[in-house]
Amino acid sequence: MSDGNQGGSKLKVVGQRPVRPDGVDKVTGRAMFGADFHLPGMLTGRIKRSPHAHARIIRIDTSAAEALAGVKAVATGADFDTGAGGEVEAGEGATAVKEVAANCLAMGKALYQGHAVAAVAATSPEIAAEALDLIEVTYEVLPHVIDVEEAIAANAPVLHDDLFTTGVTPKPAKPSNVAVKTVMGRGDVPGAFAAADVTVEGHYSTAAVHQGYIEPHACVASFGADGQSVVWCSSQGQFLVRALCAKILNMPLSDIKVIPAEIGGGFGGKTTVYLEPVALALSRKCGRPVKIVMSREEVFLASGPTSGAVMDIKLAATEAGKITAAEMTLKYQAGAFPGSPVHLGCMTAFACYDVENLALTGYDVVSNRPKVAAYRAPGAPMAAFAVESAIDDLAKKLGMDPIDIRILNGVRDGMKTVYGATVRSCAFVEMLEQLKAHPHYQTPVAAGQARGVAAGFWFNIGGESSAAVHVDEDGGVTVVSSNPDIGGSRASMAMMAAEVLGLPIEKVRCTVADTTSIGFSGSTGGSRVTFATGMAVCQAAEKVVVDLKRRAAATWECDIANVEWRDGAAVCTDPAKDVKPLSMKALASKSAKTGGPIASEVSINAQGAAAGYGAHICDLQIDRETGRTTVVRYTAAQDVGRAIHPSYVEGQLQGGAAQGVGWALNEEYVYGPKGTLDNASFLDYRMPVASDLPMIDTILVETKPNPRHPFGAKGVGEVPIVPPLAAVANAVSQIVGKRMTSLPLSPARVLAAMEEK
Amino acid sequence: MPRVQSISSRVRDFTGGLDAFDVEARTVRALIRELDARFPGLGELVEENMAIAIDGEIFQDALGASLGEASEIVLIPKISGG
Amino acid sequence: MSGVDYLSPTTIAEAVKALGQAGGGARLMAGGTDLLVQMRGGRAKPQTVIDIKRIPGLMDIRAEGGGFVIGAATSGAVLGEHAALRKAWPGIVEAANLIGSTQVQGRASLGGNLCNASPAADSVPALIAAAAVCIVEGSNGRREIPVEKVQISPGKMSLAPDEILIAFRLPPRPAKSGDAYLRLIPRTEMDIAVVGAGVSLTFDASGTCMAARVSVGAVAPTALLVEGAGMALVGSKLDEGALAKMDAAVAAACKPISDKRGTAEYRTKIACVLARRAALIARERAGA
Repeated sequence: MSDGNQGGSKLKVVGQRPVRPDGVDKVTGRAMFGADFHLPGMLTGRIKRSPHAHARIIRIDTSAAEALAGVKAVATGADFDTGAGGEVEAGEGATAVKEVAANCLAMGKALYQGHAVAAVAATSPEIAAEALDLIEVTYEVLPHVIDVEEAIAANAPVLHDDLFTTGVTPKPAKPSNVAVKTVMGRGDVPGAFAAADVTVEGHYSTAAVHQGYIEPHACVASFGADGQSVVWCSSQGQFLVRALCAKILNMPLSDIKVIPAEIGGGFGGKTTVYLEPVALALSRKCGRPVKIVMSREEVFLASGPTSGAVMDIKLAATEAGKITAAEMTLKYQAGAFPGSPVHLGCMTAFACYDVENLALTGYDVVSNRPKVAAYRAPGAPMAAFAVESAIDDLAKKLGMDPIDIRILNGVRDGMKTVYGATVRSCAFVEMLEQLKAHPHYQTPVAAGQARGVAAGFWFNIGGESSAAVHVDEDGGVTVVSSNPDIGGSRASMAMMAAEVLGLPIEKVRCTVADTTSIGFSGSTGGSRVTFATGMAVCQAAEKVVVDLKRRAAATWECDIANVEWRDGAAVCTDPAKDVKPLSMKALASKSAKTGGPIASEVSINAQGAAAGYGAHICDLQIDRETGRTTVVRYTAAQDVGRAIHPSYVEGQLQGGAAQGVGWALNEEYVYGPKGTLDNASFLDYRMPVASDLPMIDTILVETKPNPRHPFGAKGVGEVPIVPPLAAVANAVSQIVGKRMTSLPLSPARVLAAMEEK
Repeated sequence: MPRVQSISSRVRDFTGGLDAFDVEARTVRALIRELDARFPGLGELVEENMAIAIDGEIFQDALGASLGEASEIVLIPKISGG
Repeated sequence: MSGVDYLSPTTIAEAVKALGQAGGGARLMAGGTDLLVQMRGGRAKPQTVIDIKRIPGLMDIRAEGGGFVIGAATSGAVLGEHAALRKAWPGIVEAANLIGSTQVQGRASLGGNLCNASPAADSVPALIAAAAVCIVEGSNGRREIPVEKVQISPGKMSLAPDEILIAFRLPPRPAKSGDAYLRLIPRTEMDIAVVGAGVSLTFDASGTCMAARVSVGAVAPTALLVEGAGMALVGSKLDEGALAKMDAAVAAACKPISDKRGTAEYRTKIACVLARRAALIARERAGA
């Protein structure tokens, strides 16, 4: 069972497409999302937010609000107690607890329009709204800065007096908005450029884009008089919510129970906290449960988008198209606090390619915008936009086919990445070959249309996961997962358990546990759950199988070596025994007499995740009089290892591609002259709607299953958002007749580029 | 002697700008002690906040791992995702 | 907002009286697809909501005097299913059917779209091009007013405080007439017009344009009737010269702003493009 190369034809459940287990609840409205929990005595919480992009908070006078009938609690940043501070793993890497706390309720300064400065809990939404108006905040408005280049400039308003650039020696004497300078590389870049046959260069920029989950942040917190509290929330990581709340409120972890609700999308944006510490602080003050739900406007104003970026890139290559060197500078917006994924952009930029000489420099830059949060392959899509556009330029310069040049330069097993990992179980080249052979690529581009190709990479991480397998008295099985389900993991966990146990999928249910009901786990993200939590599920199921065999052996009074588990039943292989197989149901019904309940829980730190690679083709056309782009055909290929439930895997490819197309064509944050957000709604923050995209075809490449996973699975959720930006831009550039270097490619920009000849 | 490289900006702050150095150690625990002895505070940073690649394989938590004579080690900020 | 009164009158007189008594504190509601969103977002805070859907005739479409009278609260979905209306005025129907989304169409109305007084309202240029007339009733009685005279500026109408828009009257449709409405949005639906253009044309047997009305939306504080654009087409067979003159008239009439949805320059350009395209579609529909 540990052989990841287990033949596909021998599997009975894994690889099939059972009906999704959460579908009925979701379409009938039974599913319990964060905003659906109601408790007796529950209050409505609302948050007062800064109207200014940058301001010192001189005073917050809450007395009038507190005096309003129906107001039971008012909170500000003073109600948090982060003590010594420290860091917690969250989304894109270590994040300072003090900064998360200050982002939830401001400490001393409002750092972006929409920054939370105070909160109330009241007996009705109307009273809560009235109470907000009664809170008087005295601000000293400060000059603000939005744009990343402007924030780096010498005379930029500085957001944090104690922010000195990390990674610069000697340490800078003055604070600035550059939080981190990150450097990585190898080889002799100047030498390679000097010897190059051909070079290309470009300057690229992308705008901040939001994860766009359909469900706004929501939570209910209930703080008991004995200090025990419960939080229901929409989150990708119940243990992370617990850790952050405990650190922000200076409480022991075991005093907070976090129950993850059904989640309406996260994409990385729910791997942090905004509301939970606030709701807990309010509940602690008044002893009643408090519910806080963000409006869509608040989601845009105050929850992390991902970074906009400015990038400079140069490639050196031989005449034959082999890239010998690359130099790249990346500047990413962090928002109001440090923590952009620029280091991940550096690490992933050339991860698909075998480039001997690399020099990558990244800057993490703060400015008066909401603090960024992880978004599906954080940091990679922007970097790939620049890299894949530059490779497209190179291919054109050399007259090479865009897939061929990527095959030529593509990584193969054994090669080294710039960030320290050796490539293994990689099917990047096979995937490109399958993409090239696909009818989409084989069909000539229609007149008036253009075709763009791009590739992309994202890590898979393993990490800590827990799972339990319980056999019910009637022979059914419950799988308990430590991870919220954002991509169908309940289905795949149940399927993997069913496969190991030899049961039909109908007999196996998977549920997601709260922080008290299962061992610790890292958040859902990093494309890790099918790999790591799946591994825990398989190990737990295997232990159950051993246990079942032991009970059968005891029942038959034979050696356990003579018991096999086949198709959900114990079979005796001892020729001296004339016994019938014992089914799961039979063994389960007698469990009390054979040793007790049949259950196993496993907690692991999963090792051996294998990275993911994707490549996309996009055919599109442009209305030459309006600049409006229509995507007409789209194919996404990906190295997936083994698709546990192919429909879900296809869904991940399609979803990531859709988000990437939106990122490329129309999504951006629009700021006014006062640093306020102009388009804080889905009307003017333009994500693709269903009719905007054709059916997205997928190619699931399973030629290199990951041998370190029981079924060969690789994580697939994040890679698909990495190629689309350049796949779209490469096609648009062809029609426009020049390189489009700035996203989004909205109609007005495309029209202007076409007319400027 | 194992060769250690770093792609982390925070490591550079401890090492005065150095990104690569040799460290005599045969286990990751020993490596961390050595790093801390040479650059005070670095050991704790590596233990708490970094992933370590040993000969091309990334370990999110590597304390138990052993190192060979010619091992190549890379210090990486922990990778998460979205 | 501690409580909102909801009234559901069954006669126009009742509704007019309630509106007058509220002294500015009331809002009329047909489908509510703008009003409810504004109330939830805190942008509208009426003390009283007066639902006009139960007043007879407000949700009807009837043939009258050779033309049509459309109740102001009739939903887009109902308009879209009305075969005769679609045949005579495909431009008005397609414009109305662009509002919102399939879900919104079950409620959204021409009356609401006009009275929300957004410069980007989709149905308004088509109604203006059609020479539609608003039938309005207040305490001073009933009157009729061309659609293009109803909006004064974003959010403001020329109606008296207690006047209610009851219905739209569409004139009789001569033979060889056609209309069309086009809008530019970056996506394919559920978007607000960056520019909208409505054109209605009538041709004679020889294919010469006898009557033309051109209206553009989202390029000025209100939707515009561009009289010069219509005049440029009359007497022509929509040759390049006539179309170029129409372009010039449209461009001259545009007074757009630059905002998150489009720059002034872009909007003016697109207004000309859409007016042209709508004119050509209208001609095709006219069978000229």
